[in-house]
Amino acid sequence: MKLVPILLGIVTFCALTVSAFGQDTPERLNALEDAIKTQSRTIEEQQRTIDAMKEEMGKQKEEEPLQKSQEESPFSSKVSGFFGGSVLTNPNISLLMDTFVYTSNLSNSELANRGIPGFTTLGKDARNGFNMGAAEDGAELFIFAPVDPYFNLYANIPFSDEGVALEEIFAVTTSLPEGFQVKGGKFKSNFSRLDAQHPHQWDFFDIALPYRAFVGNEGLGGEKGAQLTWLPALPVYTLFCAEVLQGENGLLFGADARSGPHAFSFFVKSSFETSDNSTLYFGPSVLFGKTRNGNIVPDTDFDGSSSLYGMEAVWKWKPSKMQGLILQSEYLYLTQHGNLTDLTAATVESLRRRQDGFYFQGIYQWYRWRFAARYDMLELFADTFKRDGAQQELGETPWRATASIEFNPSEFTRIRLQYNHDRSGRDGRSNDEGILQFIFGIGAHAAHTF
Amino acid sequence: MRKIFITVFLSLTLTTPAFAELKVVATLPWISSLAKEIGKDKVSVTTLIKPNQDPHVVEAKPSMILAGRKADIIIYNGLDLEIGYLPLILESSKNPKIVPGKPGNCDCSHFVKAIEKLGAVDRSMGDVHPLGNPHYHYSPANILRVAEGMSNTLAGLDRANAEYYRANFRSFAERLKERQKKWSAIPLKGKKFVAYHKLFEYLAGEFGFQLVGYVEAKPGIPPSAGHVEALIESMKANKPDGIVTTSFYGRKESESISAKTGVRLIILPGDIGGMKGTDDWFSFMDTVLASLK
Repeated sequence: MKLVPILLGIVTFCALTVSAFGQDTPERLNALEDAIKTQSRTIEEQQRTIDAMKEEMGKQKEEEPLQKSQEESPFSSKVSGFFGGSVLTNPNISLLMDTFVYTSNLSNSELANRGIPGFTTLGKDARNGFNMGAAEDGAELFIFAPVDPYFNLYANIPFSDEGVALEEIFAVTTSLPEGFQVKGGKFKSNFSRLDAQHPHQWDFFDIALPYRAFVGNEGLGGEKGAQLTWLPALPVYTLFCAEVLQGENGLLFGADARSGPHAFSFFVKSSFETSDNSTLYFGPSVLFGKTRNGNIVPDTDFDGSSSLYGMEAVWKWKPSKMQGLILQSEYLYLTQHGNLTDLTAATVESLRRRQDGFYFQGIYQWYRWRFAARYDMLELFADTFKRDGAQQELGETPWRATASIEFNPSEFTRIRLQYNHDRSGRDGRSNDEGILQFIFGIGAHAAHTF
Repeated sequence: MRKIFITVFLSLTLTTPAFAELKVVATLPWISSLAKEIGKDKVSVTTLIKPNQDPHVVEAKPSMILAGRKADIIIYNGLDLEIGYLPLILESSKNPKIVPGKPGNCDCSHFVKAIEKLGAVDRSMGDVHPLGNPHYHYSPANILRVAEGMSNTLAGLDRANAEYYRANFRSFAERLKERQKKWSAIPLKGKKFVAYHKLFEYLAGEFGFQLVGYVEAKPGIPPSAGHVEALIESMKANKPDGIVTTSFYGRKESESISAKTGVRLIILPGDIGGMKGTDDWFSFMDTVLASLK
């Protein structure tokens, strides 16, 4: 085997000498070519001998027991857990950076105070210029690993300018029979589609308007509690789920609405293939509980109960890795009633709400590009907002239209340019936003759900 | 009428074997085909990924999770090829039979001698597989090992039929030996090919041809114009015997390079069923080797 490089070396050397002398070139060339031909014949012969010998050796090796080859591997041939080939006992760690440049026709103070009247007093997080993180979290640390044969552990720790938060940490069972699974700790509820997604996973820079209106800019967020899911072995994928949550979301619930857990959800997710290349995924959900917070009407405290009903549907078409289409829509319907305390006048009146919202979005992927459009709207069919039995005039119907272009050079980088025409402020003014967002991820990141 | 009903009822109940067939979920078509060779009528096999899908970029669809839920055993390629979706399928299917460490979790790469194991890697090198090149289904030597390992795994899981699986493996090994004679007569030794992606290294090693260049400078990252230009120049000068790819790996790019250099474009099936007449692993390899001739 070593002969081949040596012979090649000789050939190169000869070639070099030719260029050095440069005399009688054609003749020398012919001679050399002849020499090469002879040499290559020799090489071929030797190669044949080598191959024959190798084959012989191969045969011998094949007869060796299988065990041997496993021991030879410098990497583990043993089971390495749920998460593929990692040989380490260290957990899988990934870090995401999320940053964006923001521009709007509104000033920073107008943005900070721009809630959605009748829904939320909470303003927008973004400021003109450079920003860190779609949800103010410039970095997100994800850690996950199997604990033992019975549990997997996941943690999601976002970092912002202000500090570190424990957004999620939960354990999931892996060995319960009959399709049951329990999740416990602090986690993002799976009751609806966008709620369980992390901001870096969103198909747009920001969450859909119904979410902002009913649960806040980041969705429900991490909630302490427990979840039971059941996937029976039916002919069609049908997942049943129930959750008991502490109910700390500042807009839909409130940490001190009641001592003990005071938020509950039930939902079903179902899915089937609509063709060889396309899948439909859909399901209804309900999330209800006690509410006590001050974010619904300015300068008031609300104390009552809320129910949020939802319906999600996603259709994905993926004929090849070069292109794909995702159509997605969700509808949310809120009923809420209770007492509204005016903090300045110290008067109490009743509040009754029946409001809804929806969004529809489409994303077309072509190679490493994604083109997306979204339309959100509130008060589609229901706009009841009654204080002491009297319907309030809150202004024009809130809506927003969005377009975005993404370039994803690899799985781990996302560059997004987005434009929003936002008419959710109900003050006759629009918020025209432009966003240039960058997301980078390093490390071993858990696969995202369908 | 009643007689017919009774006959039908009896034939249905009596012919049902005491143990229902083993439910096998295979990630890739070649694994599914091999499982059928070994398990024959004692197994029912569901395949998660289609022959012309790129196995690197697949999403864990609910239908795959449901298949995992019903499985007695899941058999997969390993070496991180399915890293983007298999862990999610294993966890979401909520089936303790197929989790790692259980006999129902069969990683075929454990039976294989992997090549191109990498020491220090990072993602600036593209979509690299540090545990070794995962495309060993083009390797007869490794397929033999996988078939043996698979037969032992199935035998361990379904002891009543253990001898059946082993016998099927022996007959597979016999056929492979026969076919090897035919294959080794195909003159591929010393040939030089350019490939789009690092798919054919096992094949090259076992059949003695060389892969002298890649269209992808880094695996999984589309090539830059400069790299393609340099490759075209070197191909014009060195005249390799062909530019090799599969239907889903940069076929367009390879076609255009072939047109510019005059080097023959060879499209190989990416997996069993990826092209006409590749219904099992033998005919798949027949097609692969005949196309390279």
